[in-house]
Amino acid sequence: MNESLNQLTTAIKAGKRKDARAATAAALEAGLPPQSVLDALTEGMNDVGVRFKANTIFVPEVLVAARAMQKSMDLLEPVLIASGIEPEFSIVIGTVEGDLHDIGKNLVMMMLKGANFKVIDLGVNVSAEAFANAVAEHKPDLVALSALLTTTMPAMESIVCDLSRIEPPIKIIVGGAPITPDFADQIGADGYSADAASAVELAQKLCANAQ
Amino acid sequence: MTPKQRIRAAIDHQEPDKLPIDFGSSGITGIHCSVVEKLRDHYKLEKRPVKICEPYQMLGEVEGDLLDAMRIDAQAIFSHGTIFGFPNENWKPWTAPWGQELLVAERFNTTTDNAGNIYIYPEGDTDAPASGRMPKTSYFFDSIERIDPDFDEDELKLEDNLEEFGPMSQEEEAHWTEQAEKWRGCERAITAPLSGTCLGDIALVPAPFLKKPKGVRGVADWYMLSADEPEFLASIFDRQVEIALENMAKVAKIAGDVIDVVVVCGTDFGTQTSLFCGVPQMRDIWLPRYKQINEWIHQNTNWRTFKHSCGAIEPLVETFIDCGFDILNPVQCSADGMAPEGLKAKYGDRITFWGGGVNTQQTLPFGTPEEVRKEVLSRCEIFAPGGGFVFNSIHNVQARTPVENVIAMIDAVHEFNGDK
Repeated sequence: MNESLNQLTTAIKAGKRKDARAATAAALEAGLPPQSVLDALTEGMNDVGVRFKANTIFVPEVLVAARAMQKSMDLLEPVLIASGIEPEFSIVIGTVEGDLHDIGKNLVMMMLKGANFKVIDLGVNVSAEAFANAVAEHKPDLVALSALLTTTMPAMESIVCDLSRIEPPIKIIVGGAPITPDFADQIGADGYSADAASAVELAQKLCANAQ
Repeated sequence: MTPKQRIRAAIDHQEPDKLPIDFGSSGITGIHCSVVEKLRDHYKLEKRPVKICEPYQMLGEVEGDLLDAMRIDAQAIFSHGTIFGFPNENWKPWTAPWGQELLVAERFNTTTDNAGNIYIYPEGDTDAPASGRMPKTSYFFDSIERIDPDFDEDELKLEDNLEEFGPMSQEEEAHWTEQAEKWRGCERAITAPLSGTCLGDIALVPAPFLKKPKGVRGVADWYMLSADEPEFLASIFDRQVEIALENMAKVAKIAGDVIDVVVVCGTDFGTQTSLFCGVPQMRDIWLPRYKQINEWIHQNTNWRTFKHSCGAIEPLVETFIDCGFDILNPVQCSADGMAPEGLKAKYGDRITFWGGGVNTQQTLPFGTPEEVRKEVLSRCEIFAPGGGFVFNSIHNVQARTPVENVIAMIDAVHEFNGDK
């Protein structure tokens, strides 16, 4: 692998934002295929996900890695668009109505971006209507709902209920501190994950199955 | 035993005559105001609006008559200022979005936007940018991150993140003096918060009490500091501890004989499944500073020290013990690795579990009263033998929790105590 691509992967793994940006700039200036730069970036984030899931690194390390990824993407994204390279899958994500907590949702979002998903982030306190509008507009492969508060679990249930009436059907995944696999089943979600790295695996599995 | 003796015995790992109970003695062992009102109705207490003792989580004050009715053993002294920077004084009526008539502090000033979101302001100053928001369908406030436009993550300044820490004001001294007089001789154990000893509590990082916060004030930015700039974080904590020790000496002088338990720190180190920092970093950055605080307290007072951390923190419990903490809360048994039997067997003779009594994410809000009773009795059987247990739910009783379940919880503790 090219030296600058190695450096990019290493910088992402270590969460070094300036090194990630410099390595991306070097790779693009050297005329390397943008897909190869994207692959180096994804390799770095994939490693971060594996270590996060294994509890050898924690939320702060994931956040700095994601920030390094973003610095790289700032340079890479226009080149990818110009080359017609688009993520294969897209996902609409948001924290449910009544809930303003987004650290978990943002971690999932960052890891999904690192796995080359197109992510449409609706932010926090998102109503069923806003989710439905985003589905109509962006036609994503998946919708992901997050909740931290016990008091907003009913909002998650009612949003899943509303979205389940959409045609063609859209797959919905859920997560957040008080959410359990049983609750996800009970409200009719298509999947649940306990952490950000597992959410990526779940999203990849559901998207691949739908093909 | 008096309630005070009961709690002190439990903390000192002597089995008290009855299992002691806390609800309402701190901002992390309380009850949402909507549930407080229903409890007052249940116990047929005087009908009056519930006072908001903690406006961020909208906790209702558990007043003496309700403490008596529920047979609670702990009594709160709250800090002079609230998280939004105004003191809890000069009460006025306020109607919550869920229709409840409440009493709030004079400077609990809010505005509502067209979508029904409610905004609250630092020091009650509506000319300053709002520092908290409660969505129309919510029951709590959350901080609004106000990032200084001149903030540069490559040019961190220590003083920017120390703005909120300083010597105790005259108003605070007067508050402690008044509270000490009020509660001296109280039969219940007195729990009080310390000022400035929370090392990195994420709820305080956005500084909802400051009108124009500077420095690292974003939640994600703060977490990244521990990965990026651990020395900077340690320097903040060093200065914080230095200031806090001076303030603690004043509290000890004014109210040292009144207080039984001090809430030292509410920093959460766990997620549902993992940690926010590994054991080596915890021991490197937090342990020496916590140790300094706890050692001062144990050398200079008869207080017991209380550490709160949600989440899957079993790997850190040994370190909390090494830090000198006497009490761990809220003991989130539903998080990974936090099964009650294991915690009691491994650490139960060396740290007191203040919490863990019932799951507030599942059983208490969504279970049946019988499911609540069974879980409570089971937790009491596990945690109570040999002392080292003060009954409290796992964190505050949340809004929308059926009051029948809260009653079932309290009744189950009395049943365990042979009082029913």
